[in-house]
Amino acid sequence: MNAVAIIPEQNLLQAIPEKLGISERWVEKGGVHWLASDTLHVRDLAAVMNKCHARFITITAYQMPGDQGLRLEYHWDVNGNVLGFSFQLAANSIESIYDLCEAVDWIEREIHEGFAIDFTGREYEPLLLRQGDTPGVNLRETGTPNKTATGLSAQEEVKK
Amino acid sequence: MGPYHPALEEPYKLDMICEGETVIDAKLHIGFNFRGIEHLAESRNYIQVIALMERVCGICSNIHTLTLCQAMEQLTNQTPPPRAQYIRVVVAELERLHSHVLWAGIAAKLMGFKTMFMTCFEIREKVMDVLQAISGNRVNYSMNSIGGVNRDIDDPLAVLAMIEQLEREMVRTVIPIFTTSTTARSRCAGIGVLTNQRAISCGTVGPTARASGLPQDLRRAAPYAAYSEMEFEVPVQHDGDVRARLLVRALEIMESCKILRQALTKMPSGDINTGDAKIVFSTGTATSRVEAPRGEVMYSVSWKENSRNPSRVHVRTPTFANMPAIRWMVMGARLADTPLIQASIDPCYSCTDR
Repeated sequence: MNAVAIIPEQNLLQAIPEKLGISERWVEKGGVHWLASDTLHVRDLAAVMNKCHARFITITAYQMPGDQGLRLEYHWDVNGNVLGFSFQLAANSIESIYDLCEAVDWIEREIHEGFAIDFTGREYEPLLLRQGDTPGVNLRETGTPNKTATGLSAQEEVKK
Repeated sequence: MGPYHPALEEPYKLDMICEGETVIDAKLHIGFNFRGIEHLAESRNYIQVIALMERVCGICSNIHTLTLCQAMEQLTNQTPPPRAQYIRVVVAELERLHSHVLWAGIAAKLMGFKTMFMTCFEIREKVMDVLQAISGNRVNYSMNSIGGVNRDIDDPLAVLAMIEQLEREMVRTVIPIFTTSTTARSRCAGIGVLTNQRAISCGTVGPTARASGLPQDLRRAAPYAAYSEMEFEVPVQHDGDVRARLLVRALEIMESCKILRQALTKMPSGDINTGDAKIVFSTGTATSRVEAPRGEVMYSVSWKENSRNPSRVHVRTPTFANMPAIRWMVMGARLADTPLIQASIDPCYSCTDR
């Protein structure tokens, strides 16, 4: 069903938290409407963004200081508003949304290569930026590739 | 095909599977010019990082510093004065003219229309002359700074006269040939189609999206600088083919001239920057978006208080969003049409690789 047909455009922002089943509200900061919630799931988010006809913009990866790990920020555009959703990564991995949102393909691959973050549930093409090299060497301070459940990195699995 | 494109002389590679002369599927490979600019930015201070980001792209260099400075202005709580906002619009639109005319020349060459290539490049030189008159530079203009611009436009009406001459030449030659000539029509109509649905699912931006019926333009949807005070149309075509992308850019040239005329005649007097000698950053992340000639550019800039350098600068360029759509454009196309199809998104590999 077309969500935009049901929800008037001006109410779309207000409807998104409800559709995600969370009680938190938007906080506007640094040119972005942020919605932060501990219970937010990235695949649920992608599904709701699709229903709202939001346009995917990008994912930004951050390496946090010390041993605080990595953080991903997902951005979509709705009627000229930038929406931001932040995810702290527990084990340097997060579920891929490529099957839900075709536009994330290259940025998931780039982040995988730059930060050695594993987007689970997808296959990787050969490296986008540094073919044949090790993931995590471009933007991450330590270039240790993340291991998947099989003990191999995603790139090694592709090669296998 | 590649990694050196037959026309664009920038590297990327398209692996195509063909049946005879028909392309069945394709895969794209980029990264041949990866420079690690995002990583380099973390070792540059707030002045050096502007110069670094100006070099992300050789065509839309001004757009990158504009987007970066807008993000840094959020972190330093600065608002550029009105005259600076108008100057930012003037330089951004001149850059759009220069980019679109450059693209038109390359497209003409790929169509086999070499006299048109020469005409476009002659006009482009005149646009660059205007940029040189304003900034002193023809490629990297160094116009933007935190809190405004570095150089004033002393005599906006003199620049206006140059713009009007340019507009006359475009109306007399470029626009009619691209919109009505049989050559342009026969080489561009119905090829490299990107459907509206596919344009949405790929997250395409700029003229590529607008040629597939998506009326998105940040100058209208999320105005920045002085765009909220400008009257202009957002050209949209619905066929999604190479001709539609050509028409969108041709019409955008006219809209850019319209915006330039307004910005130059209505330019307010006053300061061109905030004049703050000391720049103080607050801790946080700021995001800024600008409608570059090829589409939306987005910067996410993170800073820690008392730090001279950004802790992270992420750049999402328009070609990074548009280029994956080439796969869908070339599927079913004739092999001979693929160089023109690829060029029709006006790809910038320099931006994409960063």
